[in-house]
Amino acid sequence: MTVYVDINRCIGCRSCEVACQRVHGGSGHVRVSFVEGLASVPIFCHHCEEAFCAAACFSGALHKEGDRTAFDVDKCTGCGLCALACPFGVVWTEKIAHKCDLCWGRTEPACVATCPANALSTDGEPPSRQSQVRAGRAGASGCLR
Amino acid sequence: MIKVDPNLCIGCRSCSNVCPSQNILRSDSEGIRRILWKRCREECDLCVEFCPAKALTLVPFDESVSEPQLSFDLVSCRICGSRYAPEPMLSRIEAAVPPDSQRDPEGREWIRVCPACRLRAEAQRAAREGVSGRRGEALRRGK
Amino acid sequence: MTMVRIPTVCPYCGAGCGFFVEVEKGRATGIAYMPGHPVSEGSLCSKGNAALEILCHQERLKSPLKRKAEGWAEISWDEAAEMVARGMGETIKNDGPGKVALLASSKCTNEENYLIEKLARLLGTPHIDNCARLCHAPSVVGLNRTLGAAGMTNPIPDIADSQCIFIIGSNLAENHPIISRWIHRARDRGAVVIVADPRETHTSWMADQFLQLAPGTDVALLNGMAQVIIEEGLIDEDYIAERTRGFEELSASLKGLSIERTAQITGVPKEDIVRAARSYASSPASTILYSMGITQHTTGTDNVQAVSNLALICGQIGSPGTGVMPLRGQNNVQGACDMGALAEFYPGYRRADDPGTIEFFTSAWGAAALPAGPGLTATEMIGAAASGDIKAMYIVGEDPANSEPSSLRVKRALESLDFLVVQDIFMTATAQLADVVLPGAVWAEKEGSFTNTERRVQWSSKAVDPPGCALSDLEIVCIVGRSLGLDFSYPDAASVLAEINRTVPQYAGITRERLGEGGLVWPCPSPDHPGTPILHTTGFRLPDGRAQIVPVPYRPAAEGPGGDYPLVLTTGRVAVHHNAGSMTRRSASLISREPELFVEINTADAQRLRIADGDMVIVTTARGEAQASARLTERVKRGVVFMPFHFPGTNILTTEAADPEARIPEFKVSACKITRRG
Repeated sequence: MTVYVDINRCIGCRSCEVACQRVHGGSGHVRVSFVEGLASVPIFCHHCEEAFCAAACFSGALHKEGDRTAFDVDKCTGCGLCALACPFGVVWTEKIAHKCDLCWGRTEPACVATCPANALSTDGEPPSRQSQVRAGRAGASGCLR
Repeated sequence: MIKVDPNLCIGCRSCSNVCPSQNILRSDSEGIRRILWKRCREECDLCVEFCPAKALTLVPFDESVSEPQLSFDLVSCRICGSRYAPEPMLSRIEAAVPPDSQRDPEGREWIRVCPACRLRAEAQRAAREGVSGRRGEALRRGK
Repeated sequence: MTMVRIPTVCPYCGAGCGFFVEVEKGRATGIAYMPGHPVSEGSLCSKGNAALEILCHQERLKSPLKRKAEGWAEISWDEAAEMVARGMGETIKNDGPGKVALLASSKCTNEENYLIEKLARLLGTPHIDNCARLCHAPSVVGLNRTLGAAGMTNPIPDIADSQCIFIIGSNLAENHPIISRWIHRARDRGAVVIVADPRETHTSWMADQFLQLAPGTDVALLNGMAQVIIEEGLIDEDYIAERTRGFEELSASLKGLSIERTAQITGVPKEDIVRAARSYASSPASTILYSMGITQHTTGTDNVQAVSNLALICGQIGSPGTGVMPLRGQNNVQGACDMGALAEFYPGYRRADDPGTIEFFTSAWGAAALPAGPGLTATEMIGAAASGDIKAMYIVGEDPANSEPSSLRVKRALESLDFLVVQDIFMTATAQLADVVLPGAVWAEKEGSFTNTERRVQWSSKAVDPPGCALSDLEIVCIVGRSLGLDFSYPDAASVLAEINRTVPQYAGITRERLGEGGLVWPCPSPDHPGTPILHTTGFRLPDGRAQIVPVPYRPAAEGPGGDYPLVLTTGRVAVHHNAGSMTRRSASLISREPELFVEINTADAQRLRIADGDMVIVTTARGEAQASARLTERVKRGVVFMPFHFPGTNILTTEAADPEARIPEFKVSACKITRRG
């Protein structure tokens, strides 16, 4: 599972960023990137099948749990290897690593619930006539879901 | 006190983060990361245990031995030029990622690109591919 | 420990999204989304998500304050009441009530705004207004004249049923983000989206057709489109014949208007104008969404009337998916206007210069005598303060030092008052100038009804107590009223709403008991009436039930570029900030995302001025200068620059030139120059 973005619906309001930050006690995991003043794209952890961040993690803090790339904070030393291993730059470290946890423990990811434009979903079926889904797949080959 | 093997240390942030007595000082400035392992009398071995490269060992306290220090040039991002990571850390990533996954759709060695630029590149890719209509045409025209 | 969820209405924009404030042990600890809300369906924008950062902010005013030689002294409510009674009472006694002016708040509840305007009129002053003057006063005037009611004609979810959505002068993607989801649904069903704006915005991203017109040329564009529609026989003749008056005059006024001339004035290619006109007129259900880009002009009223004209000649009012939709900016600016906190209207849009109005309220309020209007508008009060025609002011939840044009003039004017009392939640730039500061409450610290841009009245409940000695604004207004000798003893907001039910016909059936989730849409004339989501379905509340088409000749903006000031400065908003910024600039998660005042400059213009991206520049107009960070972009055309007004500085630059009828300043067009600093 991951968070799917219907790029044609994103309005660049950054509500996903603020909501994610709010429910995670101040540390947010999604970044909206603006492209040439013509589009905005929120970049989420893809929960890659072959997660390079988990491969690089020497302590096992980052690891796969089924479809999800999970994070065990107790094992993290903030070494920074994961942040350098992510092809999308979505993992960041400050004392410890910070990464999307799909709002584990909540009924649905806060970003999906909050998006005013209805651009985010977890089931890969965006309600758009364009159907241009930015699926949970890595741009770099090898991490395709 | 700590002994560091300079051939093994990758210049990461682990030991400086875990030391409970702030004996290990790390700073990034002007494109160089410097790590200083100060003399310590502690008997904890957190830094040793949590070193990804197994570069640290505990040795008996000795006033005459100088405190180990290492410097690492921070590698420049291939896109924006910002100095973002020590070379040994990047080499370690290159060893961990399958070789045929180390180039992005534009053919770049993405490990040699800083995380901020990787995120931006992913956004550009997604926008060029996915945005339709008037905007999509403009995005695909532009470069 | 048990946690309770209190339903509230978001304090930011006019969309009126609902969300729950989570309360544990008397403190707000979180936010829960409200999936059942008819407009937001549980979603919430970045500002709403950051709302708790205001609630718990350390700079919240916690005590009444009086000005000392240096700094402020905390005083008791009794002393504050005494000072206000003295300050305002003396002016009334010595110079007459006409020397006192009040500003109500678009962030306060309907009940609070009703009491503030009632207070003003019982004291004998006609000078009561609210910040709608700075945003939708032209809608109040223009839509009342053309359609008989000043409000969005259709509800927001109705937009999904539209086949052609024409957005002009609105950046709703950033300012009413929730509306986007309904536009997307319309597009899913094949709707065409047309956006007219001088600037490429997040809203124009949704456009199939983008008309990048020059600032201040909206009447020309709308007239041009109307002329195409008339010429090509795309008008709805039956609708015009049965439901409108004035078509012949409009048609005559547009005869001879060439498309080439329209293209020349607006800068929009003629093929695009023709295409947009055809799309709008020939779709079975077309709606027009508009906001400040239309209203904040010396021709604001004309702009609104031109919008009505277009909709009327195409029969696009009064049915699902159609409409004329002014997007109100604040959570309760619609309500503040409905409650008559306006210079020219008493509650319910009864004209202040109508003897019938005075008679009604003299009786309803048991008053001795009431002042006829129109009184001074918010902007005129500033001028009157400077000239000494206003000597005392009571300002509630307003920051004119940052929101009125020509800030330096505003500060000087407010400083020259004999007495200024400001009621707010933070020490804003306006509060800094006061003699007495009264600490008010935010949305979650009080209860009351708020009316969103759809005319939807919703009840917001109290979640936590205000900090320190702060009180709800309702309690404070009652304290002030009583200190000035009035019988203001309302035990709660519901008791005020009961009075509103008796005095505001549109709200007659909107009782406290009926305001559950979803609210009620006015007009709601009786307790068993279901409310009126879509207006004008069978007629217009005007003589003989017909809408009025009003010919509007094109007039350029008051201050064009030239001479020392070769560039056009236009202003607007960004997603993470709100209005004058007193709340959002204090919210860490918002200010971090948009930290400073910037100016967007076309790349070619910037290169000619040797300005690089990120340079600090000085923007200068005839009113003054402000520093900003340069952003080079293609979003604005050559000759146009853009600044957000959330930061102090932008309104140092803007012009005071105003619409003659609605008296709204022309924030959207000023002439400026830009130089690199240092």
